[in-house]
Amino acid sequence: MFYDFHIHSCLSPCSNNDMTPNNIAQMAKIKGLDYIAICDHNSLRQQPAFKIACNQVGIKMMYGVEIQTSEEVHVCAYFLEMNDCNLFQEWIDKKTNPIKNNESFFGEQNLCNEFDEVIGKEEYLLINSLNASLNETIDVVHCFHGKVVLAHVLDRVNSVTHQLGFIPQDCKFDGLEVKNLNQMITVKQKHPWIQETTWFINSDAHQLIDISEPENAMSSKEFELFWGKTV
Amino acid sequence: MKVNELIEKTGWKNISTEASLDKEIMGVYVGDLLSWVMGKGEQGQAWITVQSHLNVIAVAVLLEFSCVIIADGVIVPEDVLQKAIEENLAIVLADCSPFECTRKLIEFGY
Repeated sequence: MFYDFHIHSCLSPCSNNDMTPNNIAQMAKIKGLDYIAICDHNSLRQQPAFKIACNQVGIKMMYGVEIQTSEEVHVCAYFLEMNDCNLFQEWIDKKTNPIKNNESFFGEQNLCNEFDEVIGKEEYLLINSLNASLNETIDVVHCFHGKVVLAHVLDRVNSVTHQLGFIPQDCKFDGLEVKNLNQMITVKQKHPWIQETTWFINSDAHQLIDISEPENAMSSKEFELFWGKTV
Repeated sequence: MKVNELIEKTGWKNISTEASLDKEIMGVYVGDLLSWVMGKGEQGQAWITVQSHLNVIAVAVLLEFSCVIIADGVIVPEDVLQKAIEENLAIVLADCSPFECTRKLIEFGY
């Protein structure tokens, strides 16, 4: 199956306003993807509308969010059940630094319904660190039956290697996200202790055109291995 | 000056071993991006940071820093402290900002 598990919707202040749930689902379908996820910064509130949009288009989705930890490391957290998302969102709300979003500087944080109508806005700035460490975040995601993928691990901004120098050996991640296969080789060379993990190449798209082409594939078996069960 | 002199003069608190205080502070580095510090830091420096992840200890030991000064009253997790004790690395807690910490060290001639 072709996938793209890191797409930002219009809820993320840094993404285009036309990154609505239906636009994303339909663009992914046109591009020939089979399985997608929206990972907005620090919020899962776009997920219910996105689920409906994906169902209507006939494309598979899992719930996702990109958390910024207190070390300013970005991690993608994924869930299969809406109930787990709701519980994790409650935790996010408790750990949020309540700094109001400045729309003219950071951009709008638009929340949509299943018809792509803007029904609200996130009041607090989403691109900000939660008051939770990387380790705590991973533990809580696991507690709510989610999986953790360290985002864009070799990026020069907000990646685990940039913020913390290297991937900590005690870090209980479930997968690693890279930009290409060369990066995967680099990560393995720098961290010989990483044997078995699930590797992802996602777009991190902030505009429709950047959603992945059908280039990155994963077998159902690999995906089940990631989740530790039949999905 | 040695780390114990710094503690005496500032009133900052070392939470690691006594023995770790005997190291000479050869210079100062300020930074929170560990990848950056790894590339730029030099042996013997005192490192001022607000990061308190376990990797801070690894980077400090790798570069043979004289001590780590954790600024702004950031809380150091227990596992991080244990690692510092194991490595005989001074962890100095300062209530003031990285800027104020730096200013103190400049006052001491760095």
